[in-house]
Amino acid sequence: MQPSSSANELFENLRLELRRGSLILAVLAALRSEQYGYTLRKSLADQGMEIDEGTLYPLLRRLESQGLLTSEWREEEKRNKRFYRLAPRGEEILKQLLAEWEAIGASLEEILKEPRHATAG
Amino acid sequence: MQLLDSYVKAVKLYLPRKQREDIARELSANLLSQMEERQEELGRALTEEEEMEFLRQHGDPMLVARGYRQDRPSLNIGIELIGPELFPMYLMILGMNLTIALGLTAVFVYLFKAPFSLEPFILPFLIQIFCVTLTFVILNWIRRKYPQPWYYPPAALSPHLPIARWHSLSGLVVWSIFTLWWAAVPYFPGLLFGTWAQGLELAASWHHFYLPVLLLLLAGIAQRAANLARPEWTWLLPGVRVIINGIALAMQVPMIHGFPFVVVNPAAAGHPLFEQLAEAYSNIILWGFLSWLWIYFLIGALVYARFCVPHVRRWLALRQHGTAMAL
Repeated sequence: MQPSSSANELFENLRLELRRGSLILAVLAALRSEQYGYTLRKSLADQGMEIDEGTLYPLLRRLESQGLLTSEWREEEKRNKRFYRLAPRGEEILKQLLAEWEAIGASLEEILKEPRHATAG
Repeated sequence: MQLLDSYVKAVKLYLPRKQREDIARELSANLLSQMEERQEELGRALTEEEEMEFLRQHGDPMLVARGYRQDRPSLNIGIELIGPELFPMYLMILGMNLTIALGLTAVFVYLFKAPFSLEPFILPFLIQIFCVTLTFVILNWIRRKYPQPWYYPPAALSPHLPIARWHSLSGLVVWSIFTLWWAAVPYFPGLLFGTWAQGLELAASWHHFYLPVLLLLLAGIAQRAANLARPEWTWLLPGVRVIINGIALAMQVPMIHGFPFVVVNPAAAGHPLFEQLAEAYSNIILWGFLSWLWIYFLIGALVYARFCVPHVRRWLALRQHGTAMAL
C-alpha cells in the first residue's frame, strides 16, 4: 500500500515539474489575444491545460514584471477587470521558447524511438 | 458580496504591501466573474452557504497570498518553518514583543535598584525569541495542514461561520492548564513561590478575588467545551467572552487596591530575605500584570461586544420575522 502511494506522490511531483515549464509557454501563447485572469484560466482549461488560480494569477504578475506582458484596467460588463496581453518583448521570447519547445519535442521523439530500434535490431 | 469582500480583505493581510490594493482588486474581479458564471449556470443568485463553500474551495487566504510572495524571505532549515506570507508578521510581532519585554526588564531593574548589566536582559530576550518563533512555526504548520477560508472571521460574518474545532480545543487545553494551576495554588503555594514557599504566603486580600477569578476561568472552559461539541453555536463565544472580559475589567480596581498580594508567613516573620521577596512578588504582580491587564480586558470586552452586534441584529430580525409570520 505504502510503496504505491509513495510512487503516486513521486509521479505527481514529476508531473507537476514537467507541466511547470510548459505553463509559461501556454500562458504566453494564450495571451497573444488579450484576456483577463479568469477568462484566461478558463480558456486554458478548455484546451486541457488546467492551472490552479493560486499559480496562474501570481504568474501573470511575475511575467508582467519581467516585461513579457502588459496589462491595463478596463471596464467590461459594468465591472473593472485587469486585461493582460503579450508585450513586444514577450512576443520575441515566445518565438524563442516555441523554437526551443519544438527542438526538445524532436529530440525527445528521437530518444523515445531508440529503444525500439535497439530491440528491433 | 459581503462574504467575498471579507475574504479578499483576509487575503490582503498577507500580501506584499506595495501591491496589496492592486492584487486584491484583481482577485476580487476574478472571483466575482467565477461566481457570476456559477449563478448563470444555476439561473439564480448564490445562497450565503454556496458563496461560503465557493470561497472555502478557493482556499486559505494565507495560502492564496503565498503565491505572490514566493521570492520573499522565510524561515527555512531544509523544511519550511515560517512561510514567506507569515514572515513579515512574525518579524513585526517579534520586534514588538522584544521591545516590550526588554523595556519592562529595564523598568524592573530600575525599580529593584539592580545594577544595569546585560545579564537580566538575556533570559527575557531568549524567551521572547523562542516563544514567538514557536508560536509562528505552529501557526504555519496548522494553516498548511488545516486550511480555512477565515481563521479570524470579521464581526459581520461571525453568525455564519462555525467556530473552528481546533480553536476550541487548543483554547480548552491552555485554559484548563491555567485553571488547574490557579485552583491548586492556595493548596500548593510552591506552584507560585517555588522553594520560597516556606517563608511566603498569599495575603488575605488575594483570597477575595481567588474564587471570582476561578469562576471566570471555569466559564471560559465551559464555553470552549460547548463550542467544541457545538461549533454552530456561534453566539456563545462572543456572548460569554464579553461577560467574562467585562467582569474581569470591573474586578481590576479592587484587585489593584488589594496590594500587597504576597506577605511573609508567621514562621519567617522578620526575615529580611523573605520580606524583600514578598515585596518583589507583590510588585511583579502589580506592575508586571495588573498594571496592564485592564487594557487587555477592555479591548477584549469591546471586541467581543462588537462581535455580539450581528448576533443581536440577527436575533431581532428573526424575532420580527416570526411575529410577522404569526400575524
